[in-house]
Amino acid sequence: MGFRSYLFKRLFYAIIVLFVILTFNFVLFRVMPGDPEKMIIDPNFTPEAKMELRRQYGLDDPIMTQYVNYLKSLLRFDLGLSFSTRRPVWTELKERLPNTLVLFVVTFIGTATMGISLGVYAAANRERFAERFVVGSGLFAHAVPGFFIQLLLLLLFGYYWPILPIHGTMSAPPPDGGFALFLDRLWHLILPAGSNVIIGFGSWALYTRNTMLEALSQDYIITARAKGIAKGDILYHHALRSVLPPIVTLIFMSLPGAVSGAVITESIFSWHGVGRYLLDATLKMDYPAAQGAFYLIALSVIISNLLADIAYGLVDPRIRVGAGGQG
Amino acid sequence: MRTSQKTSQRLEAARAAASTAPKPLTFWEQYKRKPQGMIGLGIVLVYVLVAIFAPIIAPYDPMNDLYLADSIAAPAWMSKLGGKYQGLPPTLRFSLGYDEWKIEKAQGVDISPWKQDTVDGIEITIPATAKEPEETTEVSEAEDNPWIGSFKWDPFGSDNDSNESMEVAPTGEALESRQDTEFNYSFNYLYKKPQTFSASFRYDIDAPSDATTLMGLELITPSGKVFSLWETRARGRVAAARALADARDLDLKTRLGISFFDEPTDVVFAEQGDYTIRLRANTESSTEPVTIRLQPVEFTVFGMVHGLLGTDHLGSDLWSQLVYGTRIALAIGLSAAFIAVVIGTSVGLVAGYLGGMVDEVLMRIVDVLLAVPTMPILIILGALFGKSIFNVVILLALFSWMGIARIVRAQTLSLKERTFVEAAKSSGAGSGYIMLSHILPNTVPLIFANLVLRIPSAILTEASLSFLGLGDPRVPTWGRILQNSRQFGGFTKMAWWWLLPPGLALTFLSLAFVFIGNSVNEILNPRHRERS
Repeated sequence: MGFRSYLFKRLFYAIIVLFVILTFNFVLFRVMPGDPEKMIIDPNFTPEAKMELRRQYGLDDPIMTQYVNYLKSLLRFDLGLSFSTRRPVWTELKERLPNTLVLFVVTFIGTATMGISLGVYAAANRERFAERFVVGSGLFAHAVPGFFIQLLLLLLFGYYWPILPIHGTMSAPPPDGGFALFLDRLWHLILPAGSNVIIGFGSWALYTRNTMLEALSQDYIITARAKGIAKGDILYHHALRSVLPPIVTLIFMSLPGAVSGAVITESIFSWHGVGRYLLDATLKMDYPAAQGAFYLIALSVIISNLLADIAYGLVDPRIRVGAGGQG
Repeated sequence: MRTSQKTSQRLEAARAAASTAPKPLTFWEQYKRKPQGMIGLGIVLVYVLVAIFAPIIAPYDPMNDLYLADSIAAPAWMSKLGGKYQGLPPTLRFSLGYDEWKIEKAQGVDISPWKQDTVDGIEITIPATAKEPEETTEVSEAEDNPWIGSFKWDPFGSDNDSNESMEVAPTGEALESRQDTEFNYSFNYLYKKPQTFSASFRYDIDAPSDATTLMGLELITPSGKVFSLWETRARGRVAAARALADARDLDLKTRLGISFFDEPTDVVFAEQGDYTIRLRANTESSTEPVTIRLQPVEFTVFGMVHGLLGTDHLGSDLWSQLVYGTRIALAIGLSAAFIAVVIGTSVGLVAGYLGGMVDEVLMRIVDVLLAVPTMPILIILGALFGKSIFNVVILLALFSWMGIARIVRAQTLSLKERTFVEAAKSSGAGSGYIMLSHILPNTVPLIFANLVLRIPSAILTEASLSFLGLGDPRVPTWGRILQNSRQFGGFTKMAWWWLLPPGLALTFLSLAFVFIGNSVNEILNPRHRERS
């Protein structure tokens, strides 16, 4: 099986997943809990308006027609109007998406840099404090509730020593000038992104260390060592190069988890992003908004999964050859 | 002979070794050697004990005992440590009935304990004043608040004597002949001023329609200043009335003559020493005696420090919430993990053993579910199906069995090629029988390790959901405590005692389970030992 067919299989598979999630979404919001009208039409409308909206939304059509229309509208990113703001959901999501992406990218760069470098350092300096620190922080990342760490940091740096902004993406009247605004935004990023890095770097460091150790025990490293190559060269040229592929894969694999974490981070730090939008909409029973936000999140997760599969296939030839084996 | 001696020695040594060594260590014997695992087990044991004995350990009901102290009261022990919490008052609560009061009867007044159902009250019978009608009209001139009319609030206590004189019955001839009947209760107050206090009681007045009954509640400070908290001037009968004075009410503020923005406690509780609560009663009745029935006066100074861990925004005991939260956390973790393991094991067994189309379909379902972003879907489903603990457990289980299914399937794939399965098959055993009695027992250790590792993640996910406001509102979970602290001012008041305990409880519990899971894994998959 060539790489192309592997790619096609993955793509096909991603589309299937998307399809399943969309169908699930459709069923969930329209059919499952009682009257679809309550889900789609605001209960505060007058009966005439309700009738009109029923017609507009095609709620009187047969269910299959509704389903096809629903899929069509999602493809056009027509996500309906929010109950609470009466604005198109997609417009609202578009406003928030950049904020979420900025937070994600900064978090990601911080976590990856810190995690990978610490992991490599720990693998190079075994039985020292560095290694114990990495193993400990990996355990920490696994066992400590992330939102608790974030709340703690918020309490410390937002209230006990109020040195960092506690909510929002920028100051209330944003400062004038491009550079000042940039600094202000950066200032607001410190707490959410920093706490995300603190929560997340441990598992990256542990993973990097483990793969590094595995690579260092391979025959070609022993050969290189026997040849008298300097320790640093072995570490950075031989070992690190061979562990980069799995780490690249990890990068993409961590995306879905990051999306889940975004909901909590954004709600703790009142970040004007997609995750908080989903939560607020859900709690407010603003169904079109919740559905739209979920669609966007699911789409991004599926795309990142697909990217992970592709990256995995690119860096590991064995996957291309023996694909479809044991999960 | 030297050589034969040596061989015999060797033989003996070998025999001895054979008799002691070969018995393989049981799982428990291996586990006992893992300090990490034993620490984890110890911690979990503590949590389990706390959960079982929660009603004994927790002094209050976590959900229903409200207003035990002021909102966001600090832990009681912090008032002993100095600093900004030094000397803050704990909750003082007096229920003043017949036995508590020191009674000063006016002439002719009859006072006796009075019981109705569970209430211990006081019955006061005041004889008729028997005055001529024209004199009662005189009284009506001074009718408007006889006490407050002559009462001057003197915040600096410059003249104690004048205050004393004001306690005496108001002007008006009808009452001149009789003193007020007074009920006094003194208590020692040696703290800084509180934020709120309240006094309330119920009363009935049985009187002829032309009678006027005067009642008042006062607080007398150590330096002798008298503050009127409440008073009434009732005509005729009054049934089931309630007297209420609350420091948060505007009523009391106007009565004390302070502005809307001032705190009554600033003036009332400015001193330390012996305070006196005084209830007074008197009547003007021309014809018949008046009977007043008082239920106990509930006087409360809401504490600014309380219990082991203070209170939340509703004055509910945080220590009790924490203790009962242990129950919920363990119950959720265990049940969600158990359901997930049952689903995962069944799917894995069936997919692995039957193979073919069944395997393909089941594994694709696993893949799809793994691709679904868990937190968003849990948020949406949690809100749609209603915030109940049962729903949360089911949802947690439904979105966490996939990993177990994959592992069990892989194990089943290798097990079904073994000879004992072949043997069972050739002797005519059915698929169900083989799966249950030959393959399942061999996956038990694996399942156990996964069960242990699933528990903390179920607990943490539930805590996150509760924290986001999707938990069961009727259940005191740790996540809900954290959410309350975020939502209701725990941060602005820097109430660390509201945030830290549930967070640390969560942390240690999940850490303990991770310790146990890691140790179990190390024993079952020795390869792990080299890696971490």
